[in-house]
Amino acid sequence: MGKLLSRGFMCGAAIWIIFPIIVVCLAALNSGRTMFFPPEDPTLARFTEFFLTEEIWVRSLRTSFVVAFSSAGLAVLAAWPIAYGLWRRNDRGSKLIAGLALMPFALPPIVFGVGLVFFWGYLGALGNIWSGIISHAVLFPALPLTTLSIGLQSIDRAHLDAAATMGANEATAFRTIILPQMLPFTASGFFFALVLSFNEFIVIFFVSASGYSTVTVQIFNSLRNGFTPTMAVGAITFLTISALVFSLIARFGNLPQLLGSDSSKSS
Amino acid sequence: MTALPLPARSPFKRLGLLHVAVILTLATIPFLLVFAISFGHKVEGAAWVWSLEFSNYKRFFVGSDYPDTVSFLYLKYLWYSVWYALVAAVLAVATAFPFVWQMIRLSRRAQTLWLVFFLCSLTFSEVFIVMGWDILMSNRSGLPMLFRETGITDWLKANGGLDLLREWGLATPRNVRFKPSQFATILTLTYLVWPYAVILLYPPISKIEREVIEAARTMGAGPLTVMRTVVTPMVRTPLIGAVLLLFVFLLGAYVTIAVFADPSSHTLSISVYEAVRGATLNAPFGAAQAVILLLTAAGVLVIGQRFMSAKSGGR
Repeated sequence: MGKLLSRGFMCGAAIWIIFPIIVVCLAALNSGRTMFFPPEDPTLARFTEFFLTEEIWVRSLRTSFVVAFSSAGLAVLAAWPIAYGLWRRNDRGSKLIAGLALMPFALPPIVFGVGLVFFWGYLGALGNIWSGIISHAVLFPALPLTTLSIGLQSIDRAHLDAAATMGANEATAFRTIILPQMLPFTASGFFFALVLSFNEFIVIFFVSASGYSTVTVQIFNSLRNGFTPTMAVGAITFLTISALVFSLIARFGNLPQLLGSDSSKSS
Repeated sequence: MTALPLPARSPFKRLGLLHVAVILTLATIPFLLVFAISFGHKVEGAAWVWSLEFSNYKRFFVGSDYPDTVSFLYLKYLWYSVWYALVAAVLAVATAFPFVWQMIRLSRRAQTLWLVFFLCSLTFSEVFIVMGWDILMSNRSGLPMLFRETGITDWLKANGGLDLLREWGLATPRNVRFKPSQFATILTLTYLVWPYAVILLYPPISKIEREVIEAARTMGAGPLTVMRTVVTPMVRTPLIGAVLLLFVFLLGAYVTIAVFADPSSHTLSISVYEAVRGATLNAPFGAAQAVILLLTAAGVLVIGQRFMSAKSGGR
């Protein structure tokens, strides 16, 4: 009885989470301009529109890709020295640096967005795509920082001691011991940042200043005419990317450990 | 944990210093600018100039014409920000906790699958989530249509339920109507952070040792006693911590409010946008509102720090 009840509860939760997502996905099949659920006269024409024929969606999807990939790459580069310093020294200074680097992610993004408007406004870069990329790169180091720290924690210090005894300097030890073990954690951090950048709305909404638009911003800007089925294709695309990325992380990394549950660290 | 001595001329040191300087500049200067500009002065019909006046804050708390007239409009916005965020955060944590409690009993593989599922919905943009609920609550398709087609509307009309819903602002004389309404806003906000609640509660709850509970049970404690004396003290800290983090996250919610909330119950994030990039264009006042939003968030985080143990920080 108890077991049945708990099964029922979990199923209920799954339905509660997945139902609106399914509604969005099915709405993409509508043939008219209005979102009907269940879809009226199902067709795949919206997919061709989104990916090939409608200029604004093709362009904004490309912008989304450019912003997400470059900013995630920069975020990983930004996070590496901070995570490494935190692990190596573990003193007050490095903790402060890590805390400050986490700040944009931890505080309401709308405040950071307002600050970035002023910041880029001063530099005359508001509405440039590279300022959007850097904005995301500053917002998201928190994720690679977390995965890298978890990874570094699990490195066996005895190996480093052994390497030092045998005459390896820090650079050699870094290249031969730390870097190979850290590749999965670096990749996980990169993909976490990538997916979040894809789906981020408010910061890029503030800094894009109608100079360019990612898919999320374009959808919001087109809201005046209501949601259309073509936007739902964007939702499906983004959902597929997320599912792909997290399945890969789960397959090649240890997802429960990355989320902080695993206690079986090798140190 | 003992740190290894760092060689004085580490090859990473200079590179690292430059890196760190750039990151910290970019991460802190925007916040400092918001703070500094909040004391600025708006020139009528033009941009704004640096200044050190408190008129923006005065306008926020008592209105610009104080003491002639008093306006609490922006305090009302702040109140709605806090109210929506608090209710949604509490609802999400209260319902996610029993779920996580069940989830950690599953096999490791099943847990990973659930986590992938939640991470996908977690990262799903607010824009798309609002789209989904917008379809579900729109009048021509979605729930109101379902109510009409299945006869629930007629049934509600017959026994006076519709009048009650109209009093709550959830119906028109003809049918139920869910947007704009506080109900739709809070429902969507709760949905928005529900996966977050699961991900935040998962690490601390999965670390609870089942043996302690088993021991209490074998020593004769009933389920309620176990809940009260063993489980509650162990999960109180992560639960409160999760509520606080979700609260801070929700304070800045924008799309949900813009689409689902009635203009009379809009929040601070909407008026911040209006002031900084939207119609009213008053950067110093927008900055002052952002500072107050930030202080609210910071205050909550400081309280949270007391409750959160260093370990359950997670992500």
